[in-house]
Amino acid sequence: MTTAVTTPATGGNGARSAVAASARKLVKAYGSGETRVVALDHVDVEIARGAFTAIMGPSGSGKSTLMHCLAGLDSVTEGEVRVGGQEITRLKEKKLTRLRRDRIGFIFQAFNLLPTLDALENITLPMDIAGRKPDKAWLENVIATVNLEGRLKHRPSELSGGQQQRVAVARALAARPEIIFADEPTGNLDSRSGAEMLRFLRRSVDELGQTIVMVTHDPVAAAYSDRVLYLADGRIVDEMDSPTAEAVLDRMLRLAEDVPGADGTHGSAS
Amino acid sequence: MTVLKASLRNFLAHKGRMALSAVAVVLSVAFVCGTLVFTDTMTTTFDKLFASTSADVTVSPKKPKDDKAQQETGRPPSVPESALAGARTAEGAKSVEGMVSSEKVTVVDGDDKNIGSTTGAPTIASNWTTGDRTTMKITSGHAPRGASDVMVDADTAKKRKLKLGDELRTITATGDIEARISGIATFQVTNPGAAIVYFDTRTAQRELLGATDAYTGVAVTAGSGVTHAELKKNVTEALGAGTYTYQTKKEAADSSREQIGSFLDVLKYALLGFAGIALLVGIFLIVNTFSMLVAQRTREIGLMRAIGSSRRQVNRSVMIEALLLGVAGSVVGVGAGVGLAIGLMELMGALGMNLSTSELTLAWTTPVAGLVLGILVTLLAAYLPARRAGRVSPMAALRDAGTPADGKAGTVRGVLGLLLTAGGGAGLYAATQAEKASDGSVWLAAGVVLTLVGFVVVGPLLAGGLVRVLSVVTLRPFGRVGRLAERNALRNPRRTGATAAALMIGLALVASLSVVGSSMVASATEELDRSVGADFIVQSNNGQPVTAAAEKRARKSERLKTVTTYKMVGARVTAPDGSTAAEHLAATEPAYMDALRRETTSGDLAAAYGKDSMSVGAEYANKHGVEVGDTLEVAFSGGREAELKVAAITSDDTNVDKGAKYIHVDTARRYLPADQFPLSWMVLATADEGHEKAAYAALKKQMKPYPQYQVRDQADYKETLQEQVGQMLNMVYGLLALAIIVAVLGVVNTLALSVVERTREIGLMRAIGLSRRQLRRMIRLESVVIALFGALLGLGLGMCWGAAAQKLLALEGLGVLEIPWQTIGAVFVGSALVGLVAALAPAFRAGRMNVLNAIATE
Repeated sequence: MTTAVTTPATGGNGARSAVAASARKLVKAYGSGETRVVALDHVDVEIARGAFTAIMGPSGSGKSTLMHCLAGLDSVTEGEVRVGGQEITRLKEKKLTRLRRDRIGFIFQAFNLLPTLDALENITLPMDIAGRKPDKAWLENVIATVNLEGRLKHRPSELSGGQQQRVAVARALAARPEIIFADEPTGNLDSRSGAEMLRFLRRSVDELGQTIVMVTHDPVAAAYSDRVLYLADGRIVDEMDSPTAEAVLDRMLRLAEDVPGADGTHGSAS
Repeated sequence: MTVLKASLRNFLAHKGRMALSAVAVVLSVAFVCGTLVFTDTMTTTFDKLFASTSADVTVSPKKPKDDKAQQETGRPPSVPESALAGARTAEGAKSVEGMVSSEKVTVVDGDDKNIGSTTGAPTIASNWTTGDRTTMKITSGHAPRGASDVMVDADTAKKRKLKLGDELRTITATGDIEARISGIATFQVTNPGAAIVYFDTRTAQRELLGATDAYTGVAVTAGSGVTHAELKKNVTEALGAGTYTYQTKKEAADSSREQIGSFLDVLKYALLGFAGIALLVGIFLIVNTFSMLVAQRTREIGLMRAIGSSRRQVNRSVMIEALLLGVAGSVVGVGAGVGLAIGLMELMGALGMNLSTSELTLAWTTPVAGLVLGILVTLLAAYLPARRAGRVSPMAALRDAGTPADGKAGTVRGVLGLLLTAGGGAGLYAATQAEKASDGSVWLAAGVVLTLVGFVVVGPLLAGGLVRVLSVVTLRPFGRVGRLAERNALRNPRRTGATAAALMIGLALVASLSVVGSSMVASATEELDRSVGADFIVQSNNGQPVTAAAEKRARKSERLKTVTTYKMVGARVTAPDGSTAAEHLAATEPAYMDALRRETTSGDLAAAYGKDSMSVGAEYANKHGVEVGDTLEVAFSGGREAELKVAAITSDDTNVDKGAKYIHVDTARRYLPADQFPLSWMVLATADEGHEKAAYAALKKQMKPYPQYQVRDQADYKETLQEQVGQMLNMVYGLLALAIIVAVLGVVNTLALSVVERTREIGLMRAIGLSRRQLRRMIRLESVVIALFGALLGLGLGMCWGAAAQKLLALEGLGVLEIPWQTIGAVFVGSALVGLVAALAPAFRAGRMNVLNAIATE
């Protein structure tokens, strides 16, 4: 009984806006009273469509939490999150699942693939779950883009780490989601495979028009993006367009000096 | 010490994962202990009963040399009045009393309803003696004073709602005693279920023995200072050694106990057998649990090895966990066993058997047996996984954990499994070819055990193929979710194999027994169609003979063309080759030849009904070289000796009356005194042509005053047969249910542990859009396919066993093989349902998993 919902790959609420996802006054807090820990503190953010956005910040800055909230993986305490114009914070579990399935793609740091399925099956899994037929031409295009033609019948255990991540990228791209969230996608790769991986993501934005949000703590990785958001103590403290690795690193170091003890306001001066 | 501490912590940390293994141990140990407590309690109850109802010294009729060759006269053997007088002269005898008691009676109330026990306990009619006064108390009314008085025991009165003044009819071999209830007596010890009626001595003698100068026994009470042994010696001297049987109180109780004891032993060992099967099934569950725990803990074990733990230490730490599981499970199991025994006693109470919890017997051996068994089995089951834990290399600590490596089934396993299965198959084949049932049963047993072990060994290899085939039919329609379930079921064939094997054992037994059962019914039906010419059969269902009065009524029934009876006569028969044996002769009338058609291999059966003639069966004839025309010396039990000429030899190609030696009932009458002439075992009747219905109704009406006899036409007879076999099978299935429940727990266990093991995968799938419903369905489908795989193996194996058993039992008349496809199909479908149920909890749990936690799990 698969409900074949045919959601247009890039269609949220009709008109195609320049914003793929957004959060307003987003608060995520754990616990209550004395033990209350605020992971996200009134965050406002807009993710541009067709762009490659990087979210950076030190450990515990809330960058993964922000991604999880934007992707409908985690519930929020306050505020609203929109994906393609649709408010998602009050969606029921079922609708959220469908949202993730039909409109969002994921790439995780590790353990991206089901060991029982071969590469091709892993790539088409979200569509299989939805009961949708993959678009053949598009699928071939994606597979060619990530260079996996000869590896489609291999199980994950027969693939290298880089190849596994490329399968994950292909899976995320194949369903043409409105937005792809990548959580430290190069974290487990050697530098060569990591660079290759990032080039794929870059290409998919440039050539396929894909929207990508990537969480990373690696300035080199962030340099592949169009725009970098800096998070510290649950707030967006800075942002940078068309970053280079040096500039990112420089900004990071400055932030690291400023942030301790600060409430984050003066960090975003320039 | 650290090892112990680590084990204890591990055990407590993973107690949830061990829970189902513990339940399996608890259930099996509880069943073992429950059985022991229950049967011990029954033994205690009977011991007390027999001890309290036996006189200091009992004089009873001498037992005939050969118990088998006695005919049923409906009257118990007796001692003459002189025995009573003789016993009085014995030194040390304080009082002597004649006892009259018979179990060959049926007591009915005013509505012709049998008031006897429904559980197979006897109905006893007896005279009211001083001995009875010590064990029974008259709680209302008075003791029987004359022929119209009867006293009944309180349990029966309560069960059948009898009160003073109610009329009871006691049907005996000599006639009916119609009497009103004059008193109700209550047992002072526990009476498990016999219905007892008391008469005054004269009435009892006249009606039960047909003589007022005889007793069934003499009770002698010892004077003060005289031991029972001394008294027995004195009584023996007074009456003459060898004249009668003399027993002290203890001897009498022991011999009564021996009779019931063999029944209790059968019950005990049968129940223990089922407990053993459950225990065996539990082993699979425990093996799986420990294998999975070890696999999940590979990294941790690697670390232990890396920092210097020896293999032995790792191995030992796992075994200590098993020990803790075994001890905890067994202790709870022993307690639960006592509870189970009490529950069983309550159940028996509801069915009409009285057992008092005040006699609950917990021998010291019971908890010891439960503990030793539970702990040993757990350790045994954990041994292989523990050894595997010891082999984990220190490098494992450094490797990425991920999902534990999927187990692969090896070649050695395949070859070994196939060899065992082939050996077992050969055994089964040999059983089908056996010429003697006793040889064949050995082959059958060997074949069953070897094929079972073979299937268990080879199961993981079969999983690959069979699960795929099953999946094509059952899972593929569910699309990707179905295929994911299939892959999950296949990813660890050893685990799937062991889980399914547990289910296989129970279902194989169910299948084989159902094949044997339905073959029994089919064979008997075929036999009835082939050889029984009579339309109606009158017979009791509890081994009571048909009394002369009842037989007379049957003969008087309307619309009957012929009425004929079957009587058994005991005799010692000497063949021409000089061999002598106690045998039963079938005393019938010539009309019996039409009621039950028999083939002969030589001679004419009609001639066997001539004066001083008889027939023998082919087997007997072959064994003793008897031919038509030979003469056999026949010494009738309690009668004279005769020389009977063999006029016919019947073929053994039959089940009913196989090997019967027919004589004319008049021949028996000639050589037996009237009081030794037997009652009939059954009455066969044929209706007038075209009046079958009327005749059947008339005969039923005619026999209504005798509820102990069933009147059945052929159709009803077949139905009864089927019901009886069905009831027997249901009872066995009920007992096998324990093993099947443990096996289902095994499926739950495997799924639950798999869900824990696959936490990250589940999180990933949920993140990329698998809905809770789909996730739950995936787990359910995996469960269904594992259950169906087990069912397929079990039913296949069981049908082979059943077919082999039938071929073997064909030697005993089980000629027709019938596979009960309905049952087999129902079990197969049922196992799919069981699979669904087994997946409920694990699927629910997987559905509730937090997506983020699942992704984050290391």
